[in-house]
Amino acid sequence: MTFSLLHATDFADRLLYKIIPPLKAGMVVLADRYAYTAFARDATRGVDRQWVRELYSFAVRPDLSLYFRVPIDVSVDRLLARRMKLKFYEAGMDLGWSTSPVESFKLFQGKVLEEYDHLVQEFGLQVIEAAGSITDQQRLVRMLVSQQVQMTRSVEMSDDESI
Amino acid sequence: MTNPSDASASEQPGANGQSLAGRYYGRSIPYLPIDGYPGKLFVVEGTDGVGRSTQIQLLREWLEVKGYGVVETGWTRSPLMQPTIEIAKSSNTLNKLTFVLLYATDFADRLEKEIIPALKAGFVVLSDRYIFTALARAGVRGVDRQWLRNLYGFAIAPHIVFYLNIDVKTLSRRVLESRGMDFWESGMDLKTGDDIYDSFRAYQRSLLREYSSMADEFHFRVVDARRSIDRIQDELRRQVAAYLEPAEKPTEPALAR
Repeated sequence: MTFSLLHATDFADRLLYKIIPPLKAGMVVLADRYAYTAFARDATRGVDRQWVRELYSFAVRPDLSLYFRVPIDVSVDRLLARRMKLKFYEAGMDLGWSTSPVESFKLFQGKVLEEYDHLVQEFGLQVIEAAGSITDQQRLVRMLVSQQVQMTRSVEMSDDESI
Repeated sequence: MTNPSDASASEQPGANGQSLAGRYYGRSIPYLPIDGYPGKLFVVEGTDGVGRSTQIQLLREWLEVKGYGVVETGWTRSPLMQPTIEIAKSSNTLNKLTFVLLYATDFADRLEKEIIPALKAGFVVLSDRYIFTALARAGVRGVDRQWLRNLYGFAIAPHIVFYLNIDVKTLSRRVLESRGMDFWESGMDLKTGDDIYDSFRAYQRSLLREYSSMADEFHFRVVDARRSIDRIQDELRRQVAAYLEPAEKPTEPALAR
């Protein structure tokens, strides 16, 4: 619970200082992770799903949410290749499911991925298959983002103040 | 969080018609089932400077003499969060939402690490303030009431909530006589004016209004805090004794003979 609430506090702070002001100014905000991370991670840690959703009800609904989906083995390989050591909480070591960090990571993140699959349905996340090439992913992302930006451009124009 | 109709099905006569006592108010902490724990949770609520800590200290001594194990807990006293909250208060970056969430984190930490283990082990837990302080403070600052009640749904409904009720006039004098008015207790963050005295009165008046609006919802036992320390303590002890030892009185004469 404290883990969940600490993250929510941090999120609220960033929402109010870093997300809402630029949105009001008509800017594009790119968020690396959002409330969905909390939904997946906290539910895996045993926090009530509905409670977490209600907790985050102050969050702004994104115009577009991209979910980069990757099989658990690919995820482990990438992390191990980059920095050799898995982070304690990322591997869910606090849950005591396994004493091996790699094993614990696979168990914990496996559950997290299951939660994400539910979220895709519930919140209409756009799934990007992240096992593929970076170029292919980026093209798809650009296509999806430009659709959004074009839809809102007209609004921005009419909103401009005269100098 | 509470539904008045829930309370009608009272099962504990001492619980002030409060069938929820000892259970979660709303959405529970799924990994911490708490049903049937032997400990008791007594809360002393009331605004700043009303005399809560004094009463709790006296209550504690009395309970310990009677042989109860007592654990005390208080608002923002968790080792995890207290330093963070102090830092956040001293800078000017604290938004009402982050304020609320920091308090909730502190509470969650104490609930998991202090209150629940103590109740499980059969202690009497005396809580100096409880979620009602958070609800009142946030309510005054315009945070959505339903959201707040959902947020604190993981709180355990106390067995008794004493609410030390006072009027703003008496309170102002009492606070000025002891330690003076402080920035937060005067609601200076609400920026209603530069005068701390006026701000204190206006802020405390709305806080008191928030507290009394919760009295029915959360089954407060309202105690008149304008009386002397001893008179208040007598009343608290009487009610606590009636709750803890409802069957003790009749057996005593038999033993004496």
